[in-house]
Parts: sequence; C-alpha cells; structure tokens
Amino acid sequence: MRPAELRELARTRALLLDGGLGSMLIAGGLDEGRAPEWWNLEHPERIEAVHRAYLEAGSDVVHTNTFGANPLRLAAGGLAGRCHEVNAAAVEITRRATRGTGLIAGDMGPTGHMLPPLGTTTVEQLYEAFREQAEALAQAGADLISIETMSDLREARAAVEAARATSLAVHASMTFERRRRGFFTIMGDPLVPSLIALAEAGADAVGCNCSVTSAVMVAMVSEAAALVPVPFSAQPNAGQPHVTAEGVVYDASPEAFAGDLAAMVHAGASLVGGCCGTTPEFIRQARTALDATVRQ
Amino acid sequence: MLVPRSIFKAKMAVRGRVMTERQDLLTALHDAVLGGDDAAAGRLAEQTLAGGLPALEVIEHGLVPGIHEAGRRWEEGEYFLPELVTAAQAMKAAMAVLQPALADKGPAFSLGQVVIGTVEGDIHDIGKTLVATLLSASGFAVSDEGASVPVARFLARARDLNADIVCASALLTTTMPKQRELAAALKASGLKARLMVGGAPVSKGWSDAIGADGYADNALAAVALARKLVVLGATG
Repeated sequence: MRPAELRELARTRALLLDGGLGSMLIAGGLDEGRAPEWWNLEHPERIEAVHRAYLEAGSDVVHTNTFGANPLRLAAGGLAGRCHEVNAAAVEITRRATRGTGLIAGDMGPTGHMLPPLGTTTVEQLYEAFREQAEALAQAGADLISIETMSDLREARAAVEAARATSLAVHASMTFERRRRGFFTIMGDPLVPSLIALAEAGADAVGCNCSVTSAVMVAMVSEAAALVPVPFSAQPNAGQPHVTAEGVVYDASPEAFAGDLAAMVHAGASLVGGCCGTTPEFIRQARTALDATVRQ
Repeated sequence: MLVPRSIFKAKMAVRGRVMTERQDLLTALHDAVLGGDDAAAGRLAEQTLAGGLPALEVIEHGLVPGIHEAGRRWEEGEYFLPELVTAAQAMKAAMAVLQPALADKGPAFSLGQVVIGTVEGDIHDIGKTLVATLLSASGFAVSDEGASVPVARFLARARDLNADIVCASALLTTTMPKQRELAAALKASGLKARLMVGGAPVSKGWSDAIGADGYADNALAAVALARKLVVLGATG
C-alpha cells in the first residue's frame, strides 16, 4: 500500500485496527517472559487463530506478531540473526488469516536499547535495526508498517525513516502518560509536537497507544487530532491492570471501551483499536459502535 | 582575655567569608546534581574535601537536597526520566569522590547491602537501573544483577553478599508472578534479606499479596523504603 493510499483510506472512513496480541498469546499458552516472536516459527496456527478472531470481530487491519522482531530485541530473546526469517513467517501467517480481506500491518516496537543519557546506543544503530526489520516486512508482503509504543521521539523518528525507505505506507504511534503539565512520554516528549515531528519525518498516520485507559485517550485525541497534519490513530489499553488469584485482569468492559473508541472517532481519530488486555470481544463491540457512529 | 573589638570583627568577617564559601560550594554541588552535570559534581566534591568540609556534611547538605529537588520536579511533571537519571549519575560521581573520605572514618561506610535485578523473562532495565543508581548514590552497597535474573541467582547473590535487601523489578504483567516466586523462595531460604518489589504494573496490593516486605512506586520512594527496611532489620 502506497503512502497516499493509507492517507486517503483513513480520510474516507474510520479504520478499525485489531486488539492485544501478546496478551492473547499468553492466554493461549505462551510461556511467561518468552519472546512471542518464537511462536511465528513454533506455533503459527495459534497466531493465525488470533488474527482470524480479530478479523471476524470486524478489524480492517491486523498487526503481525513482530512487535519485538527487530534484530536488537530478537537477540535479547534468543533469536539473534533470524530477523528476516521471523518477520517473513509472521507476515505469511497474517496473510493466511486475512486472505485478502484485511490489511496486513507489519508491527515494529522499540528495540529496548536506550539512547544517551540513559544508554549508549546511537540513532544510527537504531535506524539500522529498524531498516533490517522494515525491509523484511516489506519483502514478505506487508501492506503497511505500523510503529508502536515508542517513548523516545528520536527512536520513533529513526523507525519512521527506516520504514519510509521501503516505500510502504507508515503508521507511527507513541505512548504518552498524563502528567501534571499535560501528556508526555516517560522521556519527556510532549504529545502534539512529537506527533507533528513524526508526520514531518514521513509518517502517513500518527497517534498514541498503550499505557492509558480509553477514557484518558479520548482526552488525548481531543487535544491532538486537529493539530497534526495526517490521520490520527488511538489504541488504548483495556483499562487498568489488576492482579487477581487467576492472574492479571484489565478492568474496562468491552461496552465502555467501544463507546470511548466511538468518541475518539468523533473527536477526529481515523484509526482506532486496542492495546494491552483488549480481546476480539472488545473489537466486536467497537465494530458495532463505529458502524453506528456518523463521523463529524 | 578580652579580644580587642577590631580584631574580633576581623575574625568574624573571615569566619563569615569561610562560611559563605562553604555554603557556595554546597549550593553549587546541589545545582550540579539537579542539573545532571556529573563532571561538575565530581570536581566540586573534590573542592569540598580540599576545603576541609566533612564528607558526611557535603552529602547531607549538598547532594541529598539536590537529588530530592530532582525528585520533586519529577513528581511535578517538570523532570522526566533523562533528567532524573542524569541527576542520579551526577550524585554518583560526587559520591565516588566522597566515599573514600567516609571510609577513612572507620569501616566501609554503607547503609546496607542491596541485590537488585529485573525478574526472569523481563528485559526491561530502566526503572531498575534508576533505583540501583539512587540507592548507590544514597550510600547503599548495590550489586546490580541486570535484567532477566532467575530466582536462584537472586538467592545465591543475597547469600554470598549477606544482603540486607533484595529488590526485584517487573515491568510486565506476565513476569510479575516471578516476584511471587522470589518472595516465597526468599522466605523459605531463611536469609535475612528483605524483599522490595517495583515496576509499572506492581502495586502495594500485589506486594502485600505475595508477602514482599515493601513496594515503592518511584525511585526516590524506593530509597526511603530501603532506609526504613534496613532500620527495621537492625532492630527487629
């Protein structure tokens, strides 16, 4: 998918993304702490089942199981040197699930390596890692590259630039928290200027994901969507995590979540979906809510 | 013997100037920590020692107020992770200079031995490293085991170092159960070390539920908690 196509599509109608993938894989038996990318090689059918569940629930776009599939993070998870293999397998799994009915977003998350002053990694090293992953995703046939959960604008920009080099459409999302003076990443990058910077770096859609509840994210969209020059995305968590005897549960109901997603579209978001803790049921309810929503 | 008034005044003026110079040095050190300037912090720490200031006074009146102000600005939303980490690094640079001067006064100065790491399966490092840096800067002896540390390694290090405190961080809801495992193993081991837990999804409720000795929701709170646990450990 060319950059202009994503921009045009997102202007025409609100696109529904998918929900949490990692949490679904854990529910499906992924060992705690194991890199989810292993399952692209070991249990492709289980990942395909999750993709299929999201597509059946109404997702227009599904993300490949490649959040940690850049060479730096793969190495930390025991998959050094297997970037192309892992990303190609993940795209193939997603293609089997979509069968041409949904867009394949090649997912790219942070490397886990820090730039100064927190670490010693250079922007060039990050760019190189993202370039290798983006190329692998593009060669395997992803429709677009989707960058998510970035906290450092410099790393996010390196990812956008690397993804741009593939000539695919690029979506880039960062993780902001509400602080006393507004919305910032943990590194101190402010909401609106950061997303404008990513658009200027070449992202065709920008937005926010993870960390906050859908109610807080409605406020983020209201503050930022009108100020960025490209389509806006929003993927909140399923509320706040709570630990129970059965494990970790998120406290938002699919109904309330879906209502908030519709409110985000109303406030100017063009791509909406879920992050940690959301399931196909959240997306199914969101589909119903979005179909009932007339965009402003 | 009565001191002639003029000499008395001159003496007081000198003392006042020395006092001011000391205060200026401590203020500069405070500012170097707050601004995250590790080179200046190290240099100023050397100047305080050259000027005859007691190391403990420099720590208490220069470094500690500086790092506390950094923490206050973090809570106010004025400082972010990079500012907080560089402030901690500046404090560490000054401590590296002052530590030997403290050691001169007797046995190695340490508030207590800490073993710290992120639990197995969790590669997140920042929060844990920040806590380790602040604990070390605050006078604890800290052994940073890094990320993805197996329970058995936490125990072995706690035993080898006769640790007072074990700190375990978990940034993922999926790795939090390892904290529970560690809490049980530490209790069963009979070691004296107290367990502190932290990390984004961790709460006081979780800490209580798994039988940890304490939870802190930020790095400065972790230092305060560690001090408290060491005092408790010494008395009870």
